[in-house]
Amino acid sequence: MRLFSTLLIGLSSGAIYSLMALALVLVWRSTRVVNFAQAGQAIASTYIGYLVISRTDNYWLALPVALVAGALIGALVDVALIRTLNKRVKSGPAAEMAPVIVTLGLLGLIRSTVGMIWGGDLKAYKAPVTNHGFTFGTTTIPFSPYNLLIVITTVIVMAVFSIIFQKTNLGLSLRAAAFQPEIARLAGVRVDLVRTIGWAFAGGAGAVAGVLVTPSNSLSPNSLDLLLVLGFVGAVIGGLESLLGAAIGGVVLGIGLAFILEYVSTSLAFPSAFIVLILVLLIKPSGILGKKGGRGA
Amino acid sequence: MGEVHKSRSIRLLVFIVIALAAFFLSNVVDELRVFQGASLSVYIVAIASIVLLTGYSGQISLGHGALMAIGGYSAVLAHNHWKVSIPISFAIAIVSTAFFGSILGWAAARLKGPYLAGTTLALAVGLPSLANQFSVLGGEQGLAFDVGAPPKSLGSDFTQYKWYFWICALAALIIVWITQNILTSRYGRQWRAMRSAPISASLSGIQIGRSKVLAFTISSGIAGLAGAMLVMTLNLVTPSAFPLSLSFAIVTGAVLAGVTNLGGGVIGALVLVAIPDIADLLAGKMGGAEKISANLPGFITSLILIVTVLLLPNGPKLSKLVSHKTK
Amino acid sequence: MFGSIRHKRSLVAAATLATAALTLSTLPAQAFSPHYEVGVSASTIKLGITIPLTGSAAPGYNKVPAAMSAYFNYVNDNGGVNGRKISLVVKDDAYLPTLAVAKTNDLVLKDKVFAVVGALGTANNKAVASSVNLGRRGIPSLFINTGYSGFADKAKYPTTYPLLPSYIVEAKIMGQYIKDNYAGKKLGLIYQDDDFGSDAQAGFKAAGVKFDVSVPYASGSQSAASGAAWVGKLKAAGAEVVVVFGVSSATGVALAASAALSYKAQWILGSVGGDATTLKALGVPAAILTGAQGASFLPSPGDATDEYIKQFQDINTKYNAGAVFDNNVLIAMNTAMLTVQALRAAGSNPTRAGLMAALESKGGSFASASFSPILYSSSSHVGYTGYWIGKYNSSGVMLPDGGKYTLYTTDSGAGAVNTVASKRPAMPAKGLPNN
Repeated sequence: MRLFSTLLIGLSSGAIYSLMALALVLVWRSTRVVNFAQAGQAIASTYIGYLVISRTDNYWLALPVALVAGALIGALVDVALIRTLNKRVKSGPAAEMAPVIVTLGLLGLIRSTVGMIWGGDLKAYKAPVTNHGFTFGTTTIPFSPYNLLIVITTVIVMAVFSIIFQKTNLGLSLRAAAFQPEIARLAGVRVDLVRTIGWAFAGGAGAVAGVLVTPSNSLSPNSLDLLLVLGFVGAVIGGLESLLGAAIGGVVLGIGLAFILEYVSTSLAFPSAFIVLILVLLIKPSGILGKKGGRGA
Repeated sequence: MGEVHKSRSIRLLVFIVIALAAFFLSNVVDELRVFQGASLSVYIVAIASIVLLTGYSGQISLGHGALMAIGGYSAVLAHNHWKVSIPISFAIAIVSTAFFGSILGWAAARLKGPYLAGTTLALAVGLPSLANQFSVLGGEQGLAFDVGAPPKSLGSDFTQYKWYFWICALAALIIVWITQNILTSRYGRQWRAMRSAPISASLSGIQIGRSKVLAFTISSGIAGLAGAMLVMTLNLVTPSAFPLSLSFAIVTGAVLAGVTNLGGGVIGALVLVAIPDIADLLAGKMGGAEKISANLPGFITSLILIVTVLLLPNGPKLSKLVSHKTK
Repeated sequence: MFGSIRHKRSLVAAATLATAALTLSTLPAQAFSPHYEVGVSASTIKLGITIPLTGSAAPGYNKVPAAMSAYFNYVNDNGGVNGRKISLVVKDDAYLPTLAVAKTNDLVLKDKVFAVVGALGTANNKAVASSVNLGRRGIPSLFINTGYSGFADKAKYPTTYPLLPSYIVEAKIMGQYIKDNYAGKKLGLIYQDDDFGSDAQAGFKAAGVKFDVSVPYASGSQSAASGAAWVGKLKAAGAEVVVVFGVSSATGVALAASAALSYKAQWILGSVGGDATTLKALGVPAAILTGAQGASFLPSPGDATDEYIKQFQDINTKYNAGAVFDNNVLIAMNTAMLTVQALRAAGSNPTRAGLMAALESKGGSFASASFSPILYSSSSHVGYTGYWIGKYNSSGVMLPDGGKYTLYTTDSGAGAVNTVASKRPAMPAKGLPNN
């Protein structure tokens, strides 16, 4: 029973990490940038969702609005910032590090903007379904309709993205633009546009993660900081190369954390992310689904 | 060979001149600036460790704050339990962090770019909080670190902060001098070769794995020293002195000045210390509601950072003058 | 040859330019009359505070400076202190000791404040006390916002005056209450795994209380998932009475998880995490908070029948536009009121030493919202020393059993826990101190 409970807890939190990991992998695959601003984009979108909820009290409306806002913000970041960065930095050590600093700077920028508009107070977000665990007779398990909503939404988002990536021409162009931009250009793919679309998708995924996690966390400018780190760790565990990897990585991390907290010690929350990560990477240095030798990461 | 010697002696002279200028200035400026000078020295050393690791050997670390934590705790524990002097405490900090760095480096050598970034990120978040697990590390309250008052021979109005500045500036000068020598040695050349053309490097006999681990080890030692210096200025070592934002800040400082540039690291450190100050000033002048004035400095700082990196992704041209001819 | 001379010159030039730039950007310090103490002028008294305004620890605490300034402005509008207006310089330290030290240096060396009030955070205050060395500089740090028992040590922190009772005191008192009322029940404890928690554990040990299950959590790691894990452990041990010694966000996830898992227990909430407004914002259902017990040294911010609360609420509405009156605002205004009394007692030409002497000799008689006596004296830097135990009603207002406040007092050491009927000084007219 304890095992089962722990698994459930890990699954629910892992789903959120997967969404954030998905957003990071999407951007990584399309632009070779680790987008630290993802948490900033997500928090901005979540606050926009908050605007909707505080006016209409309708979570089901807030979710798609936040998603669209996230997509737009993602596209804006790519067009305004990343393209400029790519033009100015072609190669050398700066090429690896400059995007890290720019996205970190953007994270700070968005966080302080959000703080200036809404202040630093905690804002509440009511969950649309109860977070009271499912009850079977006298036992209540630590999995509620709300946790189920999180898992189902994550699965839907993953499925939609996979279909787009595998079955549509857009997806084909996205993949081509990521790995062989020059050839893709020659084949008529509008590489820059396609990359921006990739960023928009990522922004949308991050926004969904933010909106899903907030009812249990409450909202403040820094409330998604930890999610950024865990999302990134989940993405790395999964291999940074595929959407499925992001999903698996996030869930592995969630379950790993839940087990360490339950069976080892509840005060090891922060070191455990490192522990899970290093255990995976020692066996597979490119992550669970990553390919050895990589694509020149 | 003669050229190298001549250039080394010139460099030594330059360092001595800077040392004299710094000590002269410390007697002229007020206490606040002297303390900032000490903080500046901490950043300079920390940035130097990134220049070596990332600029030269091409390995990304987002977790050097954790390494600084190891250095800080080592120095404090050595000083408090074994009653050793400050220079020895600092030396112990360097050695213990380098040791840990060698283990980390061994694991890191197999990891590429973002995987290494992710691992060091998780380390930055996870390591400092371990202090809460072992009571000998003092928990969240931390452990006091008192390096003692400045020696009486320096005069009765020689402030504590000036003493910190003298120690930090001396440590920074020595370690930057040593680092510069390492970077211009054959190890430095090996790392650059490894970073820019890994295949030809290994074909020409450079053992990539070992070279990487060496870079990580030395870089960690340097970061450990920065950590020890930091906790001296705080009189305290505690997990919250090493937040994730510290790791980000030193990487930012390194990149701002051109990540291959040790001399530029000084400028990067200055930027890190000066910009929040300037932002605070500007925000104070603009005033406004609480939520605006609280967040405006962060906003301005982030904006300046983004603009600077976009405009000068390889660091300011000034650093070309102060660095040595490197490819 | 030429290259190396240019090298040397440019390096020295660069270093000199950079240092000069930093030096020149120093603001000139405000010129104060040589007759007055630093931070005091003919018309103003300048105070400073370091507190998290941004960052993950900011929610809640970031309301304190505005509330303090609101009270100071109210006093300023009504004659000020001996004819002087109080101004508060606010510095954001994001709860980081490095920033706390740097900003306090700004306050002390650049802004040249008269005293620091309400500085927040254990590690921050420790770093500031030793690094900035307020003791050696003779700068008072009044009413620091932390419960770490070590600050009561006069020898180590000669100019620091805690206000809050220490966590050891709180835990001892809770422990005594549990022994008196819940003997024989299975006990559980959730505690933050740092200074907070270890002080609490020391207190419970001193009270002779043993927990059947103890659940530590790493500060900052609280989340819905971890909350579920904690509750799982409590459930498994069958705990009937659970004490939560954690911050609001941790208390919130523990209660919310219990509601979600249908876990029922008698909750006892520590004062740090017990603010009902914050808990509600964190999603704690009213049902689970009702009937929970808590410890506090102040009246509940929702108790509008209390004369101090009513007056503070009034000032809040008029001077602190729009801010919800919660525990943070209450503590802020209470601290500000004590500060004004201390400044008044320091006389018409206040000095730093005089301020501290006034606090030590007269502080015990100051009016404040707390039911606890104030213990400042020439031998004690301890402010408040006791708690009352109350129960949350269905509106989230914590009230004493039977409507009467019974105060438990004790020390941070081995002293016994005593109950006293609390006597609180009447609130000065209109909330304006007249000492």
